[in-house]
Amino acid sequence: MHDTVDLEDRGVPCVFVSTVEFVDGAEAQARALGTTPIAVYVEHPIQDRTDEEMRALADGALEEIVAKLCNDPG
Amino acid sequence: MTILLDPTSERVPAERPRAERLERLEGRTVGLLDIAKMRGDVFLDRLENRLEARGARVLRFKKPTFTKPAPVDLRSEIARQCDAVVEALAD
Amino acid sequence: MSRESTSVSAAAADAAGSKRPELPSGIVAFVKRDCPTCELVAPVLAAIARQVPLTVYSQDDPDFPPEVSRRDDRDLAVSWQHEVEAVPTLLRVESGREVERALGWHREEWETLTGVEGLGPGLPAMRPGCGSLSVDPAHASGLAVRFGGSKLKARRIEVASLEDELEVGFERGWSDGLPVVPPTEARVLAMLEGTSRAPDETVAIVPPDLAPCTVEKVAINAVMAGCKPEYLPIVLAAVEAACTDAFNIHGLLATTMSAGPVLIVNGPIRRRVGLNSGKNVFGQGHRANATIGRALQLVIRNVGGGRPGEVDRATLGNPGKLSFCFAEDEEGSPWSPLSTDLGFEEGIDTVTLFPGEGPRTIVDQTSREPESLARSFAASLRTMYTPKMVLAFDAIVAVSPEHARVFREAGWSKADLVARLHDLTRVRGSEVVRGAGGIAEGLPEAVRDRDLPKFRPGGLLVVHVGGGAGLFSAIIPGWANGEMGSQPVCRPIGDGSSRGDLLSGGLSSDGETFAAQEGVRS
Repeated sequence: MHDTVDLEDRGVPCVFVSTVEFVDGAEAQARALGTTPIAVYVEHPIQDRTDEEMRALADGALEEIVAKLCNDPG
Repeated sequence: MTILLDPTSERVPAERPRAERLERLEGRTVGLLDIAKMRGDVFLDRLENRLEARGARVLRFKKPTFTKPAPVDLRSEIARQCDAVVEALAD
Repeated sequence: MSRESTSVSAAAADAAGSKRPELPSGIVAFVKRDCPTCELVAPVLAAIARQVPLTVYSQDDPDFPPEVSRRDDRDLAVSWQHEVEAVPTLLRVESGREVERALGWHREEWETLTGVEGLGPGLPAMRPGCGSLSVDPAHASGLAVRFGGSKLKARRIEVASLEDELEVGFERGWSDGLPVVPPTEARVLAMLEGTSRAPDETVAIVPPDLAPCTVEKVAINAVMAGCKPEYLPIVLAAVEAACTDAFNIHGLLATTMSAGPVLIVNGPIRRRVGLNSGKNVFGQGHRANATIGRALQLVIRNVGGGRPGEVDRATLGNPGKLSFCFAEDEEGSPWSPLSTDLGFEEGIDTVTLFPGEGPRTIVDQTSREPESLARSFAASLRTMYTPKMVLAFDAIVAVSPEHARVFREAGWSKADLVARLHDLTRVRGSEVVRGAGGIAEGLPEAVRDRDLPKFRPGGLLVVHVGGGAGLFSAIIPGWANGEMGSQPVCRPIGDGSSRGDLLSGGLSSDGETFAAQEGVRS
């Protein structure tokens, strides 16, 4: 969260991607930094997924990532 | 956790102001910041392909360690070069 | 030592909004085992308990003392909320209200209070107690926050333990460029001890946002500035003065010129809080000087919303905009204090707000005669902004002790000096019209044959400051005055300091605030 908050302070819109396990942590960190998180959450776990499964996770998250970076996802 | 009292008139929300979102993706530079946890690179490789397919230019960055915020030089560089950033993948 | 209890304590608790636990009726004692006097009187308490209802609150050991009805007050809630300062403390409670209390062991007082005779036959007639744990520094500020926190109304901001709380001030935009002291509840409560005013009392409406500012908000910013609680009344008076229409802080803030609020303090409060009026008076090194001026600017920034690059459009600014506060050296002065020229009696604590720039030094190490020295001052004064800028200015002439001696020895009053300076700073119109001296700037041709003043009537103020050796004085140039500009404003400092009646005559419509009028009194 610190990186994205710092980059936002510098005027760069950001999205933070994590697994759902990290929701509470992300919210807490963000709140402590004085913001609400702009985050996209993917399914847990990650570590034991095959490459194919990882790519599928990325595909699944793409729309939401783009929506949170842009006003008009197009 | 420390509690501080707000010294302002409290007319604006206590929230930090957020950066403006992009108008569109096409033609913009998106930075992908790898937090350096395992398997994140596969995720980001795929994002890179998909974002390029949408007309964005993609730059890749990687933190030295996920245990600390990114070094200030890296953040400066990212801010300088990118219009938007996706940081992934924390678990 | 015994004293009558009044309803003040209960009223204070009500005002604080906390629900004070009611004490049981009868006799109540507060003790701690770790206190030789409490150990000594343990049998006395047992004896009292055999005759009248007695409840004993123990601050450190729920099994002490024996043979009485005990309550565990190890969390010190009851002790704190009933303002127990020493142990043992004995109280008589009737219908839930305290009517009398005694501190320490005192046979006569205890017998009167309890109505029980022959107490402690083997004991000395009296013995002082120990400090109550509830006022022990280790516990006190936590207790203050726990029970006093509810009287603080400001929004709470959470700072994660991984965050550096000194960085928060920068990140949130609260800082003037230097680190600010994190305004925790404990610090703000301690700061509020510096005033008897209620935290939710409105002090002023602060430009440019025209936001209401309470005592609490001033206290928060005073904490951030690094003030001690005893400085708070000065900061409060400064905020009030700055936000008057006469001072026009909005205009002063929004100007492209360089001035900022300059605070000058008169009265006994200077010594009480350690304000510097001597060597390096305009410089660094004294906490009161540095933090009181800073606190005012932080209030304007954070409550009023006045920030550089936004409403503050100063082209150049000046270093005094960080903080510029000093005390006048009254004791060494040949003249009466500045406050007496602005409507107050000597000996009243006041703060004067002046819209000023950084000081410019006047060097004259030779003049022994007052006329010569006054001409040096005038020559410097004429160059304020540029020699061609005339008509409506203000300035403070800060006369050092070595220069003041010249005037003192010649018998010149402050009024004499000021009158002479007004005369000597008049110019011929021909010198200041556009094009004169090869300089395009200037006044219209129409004034060519007139004789013009540099300063407005009443626009020159004199203070006596500085210390040690040095045949130097200084000018603090003012800003524009008049309708669009800013008048110096002098305000009494409240809260147990010396307030008094204003001099008769020349009062402003706001009875307590005196804006600089024409002429000088002394």
